[in-house]
Amino acid sequence: MLVKDYMTRHPIMVTPETPASKAQRLMIENQIRHLPVVGSGKRLQGLITRERLRVPPTDLGSLNIWEISRLLSDLQAKDVMIKRIDLVTIAPDISLEHAAHIMIQNKVGCLPVVEDEIVVGIISEVDMLAELFELLGGNVAGVRVTIRVPDQIGEFAKITSAIAAKNWGIYASGGVPAPKMPGFWDVVVKVREVPRDDLVAVLKSISGHKVIDVRECTD
Amino acid sequence: MTELKKTPPVLKLEDVAVAYKVRGGEIEAVQHVSFEINRGETLGIVGESGCGKSTLAWAVLNFLGNNGYVKRGSIKFQGQELVGVTGENLRRLRGDQIAMVYQDPMQALNPSMRLGDQMSEVLTVHRGMKKTEAEQRCMEMLDRVYMPDAANVMKRYPHQISGGQQQRVVIAMALLNDPALLIMDEPTTALDVTVEAAVLDLIADLRREFDTAIMYITHNLGVVARVSTRVAVMYAGELVERATVEEIYKNPRHPYTQGLIRCVPKLGADKARSVLYPIRGRVPPPNNRPVGCVFSPRCAFIQERCRDQRPQLRQLPDGSWVRCHFAEKIDPSSWTPYDEIKTPENLQRDLAGEPILEVKDLKKYYEVRGSSLKDVIGLGEKRYVKAVENASFQLTRGTTLGVVGESGCGKSTLIKTIIGLEDTTSGEAHFLGFDITNSIKDRDRSLIQELQMVFQNPDSTMNPSYTVGQQISRPMQHFKTVPKDQIRAEVIKLLDAMRLGANYYNRLPRQLSGGEKQRVGIARALASHPDLVLCDEPVSALDVSVQAAILNLLLEIQQEYNTTLVFIAHDLSVVRFFSDQVAVMYLGQVMEIGPAEDIYAPPYHPYSEALLSAVPIPDPTVKQKYIRLEGSVPSAINPPDGCRFHTRCPRRNLLPDGGKICETEIPPWREISAEHRIFCHLPIEILRDFAPVVTQSTEEI
Repeated sequence: MLVKDYMTRHPIMVTPETPASKAQRLMIENQIRHLPVVGSGKRLQGLITRERLRVPPTDLGSLNIWEISRLLSDLQAKDVMIKRIDLVTIAPDISLEHAAHIMIQNKVGCLPVVEDEIVVGIISEVDMLAELFELLGGNVAGVRVTIRVPDQIGEFAKITSAIAAKNWGIYASGGVPAPKMPGFWDVVVKVREVPRDDLVAVLKSISGHKVIDVRECTD
Repeated sequence: MTELKKTPPVLKLEDVAVAYKVRGGEIEAVQHVSFEINRGETLGIVGESGCGKSTLAWAVLNFLGNNGYVKRGSIKFQGQELVGVTGENLRRLRGDQIAMVYQDPMQALNPSMRLGDQMSEVLTVHRGMKKTEAEQRCMEMLDRVYMPDAANVMKRYPHQISGGQQQRVVIAMALLNDPALLIMDEPTTALDVTVEAAVLDLIADLRREFDTAIMYITHNLGVVARVSTRVAVMYAGELVERATVEEIYKNPRHPYTQGLIRCVPKLGADKARSVLYPIRGRVPPPNNRPVGCVFSPRCAFIQERCRDQRPQLRQLPDGSWVRCHFAEKIDPSSWTPYDEIKTPENLQRDLAGEPILEVKDLKKYYEVRGSSLKDVIGLGEKRYVKAVENASFQLTRGTTLGVVGESGCGKSTLIKTIIGLEDTTSGEAHFLGFDITNSIKDRDRSLIQELQMVFQNPDSTMNPSYTVGQQISRPMQHFKTVPKDQIRAEVIKLLDAMRLGANYYNRLPRQLSGGEKQRVGIARALASHPDLVLCDEPVSALDVSVQAAILNLLLEIQQEYNTTLVFIAHDLSVVRFFSDQVAVMYLGQVMEIGPAEDIYAPPYHPYSEALLSAVPIPDPTVKQKYIRLEGSVPSAINPPDGCRFHTRCPRRNLLPDGGKICETEIPPWREISAEHRIFCHLPIEILRDFAPVVTQSTEEI
């Protein structure tokens, strides 16, 4: 689970001299929200987001209709892009959680992935969500159970061994510190092809564990 | 993961037409072509030569030359229009985002530059990288394409590495800039099957790893089955069918696709079932296409509507696209062969009859002159290229011996020695009881008359200023097989047998197509009524439908005249289809010889096994064992001691000590049956235990 596994390789890119109107059309037509601007040899120079192409409503009234077309025809990608120095980027060999951290801290929705300043891909919040989706087995049918366990070593093993003893398999799992409950963790497991009640009964029988949510998902 | 997120296609063609300006107008070489290639996907484009496959590839990169241009439609790369892009933008696209690999790697490499220099140039020019850093990257990329000893290869010149390695360098070079789109135009056509298999594996790996979209052009249906995810079939400049690779082979919709599949011999099927049906007629020239459906003149299902209404490419309910009015109604199983195309019965012939050719321990060495002073004055140690070593076989009248092996294994030398173009170093060879180890100069005329040859390249073996009639009548005059006044009638009879007709008598070679030239070549070889015809790759340069026609013709002639054939080919499916007996050669040594059916089933020689697992089979449901030979064929000047194959043998570790014996001792002949012999140290029991290389999937087609 590294950036290079989840990023979009070969993103659509434009040159700094591309007219801004063309860049805007490319983004709409291909339903993309981020457009890296690259120079020769795919060197990163900037990034165009949909926000950068938005005209503030307050400016709308002040623009003369004749002026608009003149202004727009001169506008190039390099005039509307976020410049390289203001951009946050990432290398392909970084873990996804590290990438998420960078995105959260900088409040950005996308990171160009660069290797020696050369764009090799792009990773956006959608890619992160895709990873979350896959991590929790969102695309398969099964029973999803959330268990609140004490924050001690060996508690997760109790769950896995109880499930393994029944010869079931865990398709996906994850754990987070329980919200507002210091000293506890919430563990999510997804088990396929298992009767819901049997699974719940097995998990409930573990002392100290509390099943707090059960749901069955179909694909 | 990829299914989760929908991304725009990397390349999208919409109703593209490409035209060339010629004297007196314009020719539309490609018309109405639309397709998409997504990232991480390989689109195979197949069709006979002259169907506009390469034109399409050049159009994408704007390489059409001065007289070619995209006349209609749009070509979008990553959402951006490519038609009309010029100058700096085009240069940047070609270098950074789109890469191309051509058929002949030698022409893509600069012969006067070291490989390391030309590779790192890509990075220093396009990316402004420092020289040392660039070299480091090139080395990593060479490792990625499984180049053995990458550091050393960087220091060599192109001619110092083999063809397969050259192609790997070209592919590595194309991938250096991490292109979004890779266009490959017949990249493996010039390579041996074993090398081809390795390159195809590599392409599949790289597609997954780099998420590159690949447009793969080839005429070989087997190769397409192996590399592609989707296939587009082109005919006469139009796209006639587009579907996933499984659909195309299991359920071809367009009559042309069905015809193509009927043309190729299948390795998976047994010999009795494999009948080749060539497509009648030929591809119409671009300036003379029919008004209606372009395929209608050759189509077996033609209706009135096909003649005057051009069909549109339309989608069928199952998702495949086809350009045919009656795609749903056509049932391929109702297809019957045309009356004018005879498909001779392909019977297994008896190998126990009267032997016509007996070869025993035949050797052919070529002396190599060194360049040192000692060598010049004749005192140096003499060195030899051992082109053929101890070849022994018998050939029964009316049967066919197929000879297979990688290039440089001595196939051609063997038959050149038999026909007398090369003299024999030692050993015995008897043809009809006559000794034929001498040179052709000393042979009796009647002997020469009985031994004829068909060459690979009909172009270079025909006198361009002689008419077809003259070419064929020459051997008749020479050997006086036919009275002078009947020569013309006899030539026309032969032309008829070749299905060329009397009107070809006065044509010149340049007025003929490749297939027709090869027919004339065969007619010339048969003109003196020979007993033995030696064919050196007679069909390798031809399109599949022409190849099918020529193979059928040869079979028919063989049955009519009871001719004996020696048939060299590198395509193992063709050899299986055609031969009664097969010899597998490696580095001048016959490794395995036996009846065709036995060669293609266990027990195998490890080399035959590897060759079989490398053959691309035009059927994605067939399972093949995965065996890849490492390295290239060693030099014939210094062949390995012991078993010549031991340096690359994947099976030698089955012997004690990891096969030490293979390095020192010459292997014995293992007699599997009276006719089937294997030259290997492995005992018969182990050889018998090998699983079959090709297994038909249980799912019935």
